[in-house]
Amino acid sequence: MKNIYEPEKVKIIGIEKLSSNVSRFRLASPKPGKSVFKADENGLVFNPGQFLLFGLFGWGEAPFGAASSPYEKRYLDLVVRKAGVLTEKLHQLKEGDEAFLRGPYGNGFPVDFMSGKDVVMVTGGCGIPPIAALIEYIIKNRGDFGNVYLIYGARTPKDLLMMDAIKKWEKDIKVLLTVDKPDKNWKGYVGMVSELIDDIKINAVDAVAAMCGPGPMMEALEKILRPLGIADRRIFVNVERKMQCGLGKCQHCATGSKYVCQDGPVFNFDEIDKNHD
Amino acid sequence: MPLVIEKKEIKNWLKELKKGFAVFDVRKSVLPPKQYFFPPKEETFNFDLKSQKLSVPDYEGRVLLFGLNMAHLEAMTQLDEIMEKPRKDFYYWRRREKSVLVGLTDNTVIVPMGGDIILEKINSKQYQVLVLTEKGKKAIKSKLIKKIAKPVIKKYSTDSNPMKEMLLDSELLAEAVAWSANHKIWDELAKKCLGCGICTYVCPLCHCFSIEDRVNLDGESCSRCRQWDACTLPNFSKIAGGHKFHPTVKERYYNWFYHKFVRAYKEYGKSQCVACGNCKNNCPAGIGIAGVLMEIVGDYEKYLRT
Repeated sequence: MKNIYEPEKVKIIGIEKLSSNVSRFRLASPKPGKSVFKADENGLVFNPGQFLLFGLFGWGEAPFGAASSPYEKRYLDLVVRKAGVLTEKLHQLKEGDEAFLRGPYGNGFPVDFMSGKDVVMVTGGCGIPPIAALIEYIIKNRGDFGNVYLIYGARTPKDLLMMDAIKKWEKDIKVLLTVDKPDKNWKGYVGMVSELIDDIKINAVDAVAAMCGPGPMMEALEKILRPLGIADRRIFVNVERKMQCGLGKCQHCATGSKYVCQDGPVFNFDEIDKNHD
Repeated sequence: MPLVIEKKEIKNWLKELKKGFAVFDVRKSVLPPKQYFFPPKEETFNFDLKSQKLSVPDYEGRVLLFGLNMAHLEAMTQLDEIMEKPRKDFYYWRRREKSVLVGLTDNTVIVPMGGDIILEKINSKQYQVLVLTEKGKKAIKSKLIKKIAKPVIKKYSTDSNPMKEMLLDSELLAEAVAWSANHKIWDELAKKCLGCGICTYVCPLCHCFSIEDRVNLDGESCSRCRQWDACTLPNFSKIAGGHKFHPTVKERYYNWFYHKFVRAYKEYGKSQCVACGNCKNNCPAGIGIAGVLMEIVGDYEKYLRT
């Protein structure tokens, strides 16, 4: 019988500080030249939007969305914000240290359904990792998608993460940045404002949206996605809960009649918006 | 030919069984049978911080549970399904696989809902031994269990249980509980409920758990533990950063019902309740599922008629 809770040992081959309390951890197999996970028949190591349970013995494990390209077999990136005991400890680690990983879990964004369509992605602050993996997928298959937009918001310009990657993405997709508290050099938008729509040219009847919340979710929905004419059914939301087992048993991630770890973490917005929680 | 055991020989049979099994009489514990396969706290991994070696604690036990009532047998059948799908829970099944469940009832069995063996009272001095599985067949190889051509079989009827009757229509229960989200009963219950979680611990079907690491005092080794949790406790839905999806007793209590009667119905086609009464019998505030459901179903039916 397979022990479904057993994690794999991984080696941290890179740590990059993205903001004062957020770092990107690059994880690889402890055996040089080996891949962390096997790619499926389409060459994907995970589906964009899937999550993994990452941790240290003695400190526990927590769910993180994979942020690297799903085609990347040599390593996998996780973005970790200091938010508790485990993440505090993770931030003390150094390159070369070992940690534990299991997954990927959940469904991920429906990339086959999204293909052939215009895509609007909306996220804020620390919600960027799963969207980053989706963007990497889209760029690798750029010809299969129509107009592609990323609307990325944060509190201040310093809280916008992965700016190096964003600069790279801008060659292939349109990126709209917005902050709540601009500094004097800020040239982007201020707030999740309806004016953002003016920069978005999509065929609304055949467009889809992808979001990672909860930060800007409701505002973006009211001010941008609905005015653009994208139906709730075509808005895919990556939901956050406290996934502990990742296997649909422990009940921590339940929302309404769904489990975020098994049925999600990506849902059609209209699947979950009427849940009591 | 029916298999029969004399009432006074049951304890001797259990003594014989102790040669092959760790035998537990479940009637002696307030906690339900799930505790033997899904213990309140168990180590799932040991990790040596010096050598960085990861290991899984051994388990070699073989458990025989005696004295399960019919509701608890049914609960075990359901819990097996929960722990089987979508993937086999390693820690549950390595205990459960070789175990034997022996039910005991003073009422005539109509349909056996689970277990390997059931001892069914047939007269004041004898029990009929119903063997339901291959595992059960091996466990009854004893001179104390005899084939008797025509034993005296009396019928003992079960008292009617309104909760049990309600459970027959789990679709109606699912609809009613989903409909009741804004019902005043949840406000009333929130005032009564102490949020202690006892109902979930004594429930033979509740299976919430959390996973936590413990470091030994020497700081050289640690273990990852899985322990019972309860969705009625304040931090159950808390995520990193402190946000709680069910911040109030009302939301948590409703979520408990929602899982048992709505989510479980959608997942398994059944309510996760076997009308055993454990929750009511042990609730310090005296709340009973049956009464709550009756009120909700009654009001839902009224609503459907208007």
